[in-house]
Amino acid sequence: MYKSTGFISFFLRRFTGLVLVLYLGVHMWVIGAATKGAETFNARLEVFESPVLKILEILLLAAVLYHGFDGIRLIIVHYFDVTDYRKSLFYAAFATSALLTIVGGIPLLLYALEMLS
Amino acid sequence: MVNRSFEGQSVTVRIQRFNPEVDKKPHLDEFILTLEPGTTILDTLREIKNEQDGSLTYRRSCRHAICGSCAMNINGKNMLACNQPLNDHLDRKGRITIRPLPYQPIIKDLVVDRSAFWEQYQRVKPWLIPPEDIPEKEFCMSPEEVEALKNAEKCIMCGACYASCQVIGLNKRYIGPHALLKAFQRVLDPRDSAPGERLADVAGDDGVFRCHSIFNCIDACPKELNPTQAIETLRKLAQKRQAFEAQRRERQKSLIEPTPTRTAERSGV
Amino acid sequence: MRIFIIQRISAIALVVFLSLHMIVVHYPPGHLDFSRVLERLADPLWKAIDIAFLAAVLFHALAGTYAVLTDIERVTPLKRILAGILVVLGIIGVAYGTFTILSFQPPASLSAVH
Repeated sequence: MYKSTGFISFFLRRFTGLVLVLYLGVHMWVIGAATKGAETFNARLEVFESPVLKILEILLLAAVLYHGFDGIRLIIVHYFDVTDYRKSLFYAAFATSALLTIVGGIPLLLYALEMLS
Repeated sequence: MVNRSFEGQSVTVRIQRFNPEVDKKPHLDEFILTLEPGTTILDTLREIKNEQDGSLTYRRSCRHAICGSCAMNINGKNMLACNQPLNDHLDRKGRITIRPLPYQPIIKDLVVDRSAFWEQYQRVKPWLIPPEDIPEKEFCMSPEEVEALKNAEKCIMCGACYASCQVIGLNKRYIGPHALLKAFQRVLDPRDSAPGERLADVAGDDGVFRCHSIFNCIDACPKELNPTQAIETLRKLAQKRQAFEAQRRERQKSLIEPTPTRTAERSGV
Repeated sequence: MRIFIIQRISAIALVVFLSLHMIVVHYPPGHLDFSRVLERLADPLWKAIDIAFLAAVLFHALAGTYAVLTDIERVTPLKRILAGILVVLGIIGVAYGTFTILSFQPPASLSAVH
């Protein structure tokens, strides 16, 4: 495929979108346990308390943040003529989502490391 | 690519070749030549064809960026070959890679089948649909209205934008940035009396709502046109189609007669 | 066209809902379990917010999936079937999710869900 920042943005947006749809399914399955009572619910939540899955949660956070900020970027593109800033906008969205992933991911990482020790 | 000048030195030109009578799939051929000052990529192709391999096939005509024939993929980006100095596109080792425009079937070497490109262009009815009343002398468009069309009129139909669009890569039914830019030109033209119909045509499943703002078209265009912005404008207008059409009918009433400012100017007020 | 517009609207709604969700559910420290969720969802306002959130997410996710798949040329002729499947999935999702959210009732209360 033709390589460019626009393509990377497009591809990542789609990829994170699909990842999030799959995650939605899992999330709904876990929360759905509420109809079966508190014990089943807590048991399903426990599955996700493993260190590996906590690390995956950081990736999930990255996906949500990237998809969200790229989406906001798209809405800006829709309402304003950003031709001159198109690359800067992409970098800004990417940088913001990376920064917030680190901010939100550090507590998760620490929690995971705590679980390992 | 690099600021260094390779003038007077050996450069390596890698060209994608494909001869349907002989090859199973495309492959890269390498040609070495000495770079003369002021050589464009098109000059280089001609030199290779004349002196090294007469079977090299490519499209070209005007060689000064107006006919749109020589658009090709240079080092991964689409551009015209005739207005690009070879030196500007050499990497540190003095190499350049030339391939045909992507996302279209290859006929031979650097020549691709552009029928899908032209079909989509025809699809948007790229001609003026005039109103029933035609003025005796001229349509009195305002300077702003003429200015709004200027960009889209410069399009030379080279296909660089079309072949850079990933949406086209995924789906040949997408109308394409080239045709949508032309549709934009017609929709904004106050002389055109079918903006509602045009907007309905491009607002379908294969039209303006398929654009994902990837922006490759702007990067590729040799005339620095802006299909993405044209498509965004069409998206906004498509949502207010009926109001826009009513506005057009109003405008066309005064288009046939001179506008008050012009009459004032003529009488020297 | 309408899908495009509602996709954008649901996107903006999700930015709001999701931020709220992250701050209220995942930011406070401490272990997340049924009783903590129950604390929040006992309030009917939170139930309503979560149901609206669910509807917005399902619309955005399924419309997005539709867009991604119909971009591929081979899928385009099947788009009506695809739309049908996604609509059904959406209805099931909203129904299942709403039922789940409404089931977060404190055990001490004997009042019925409806």
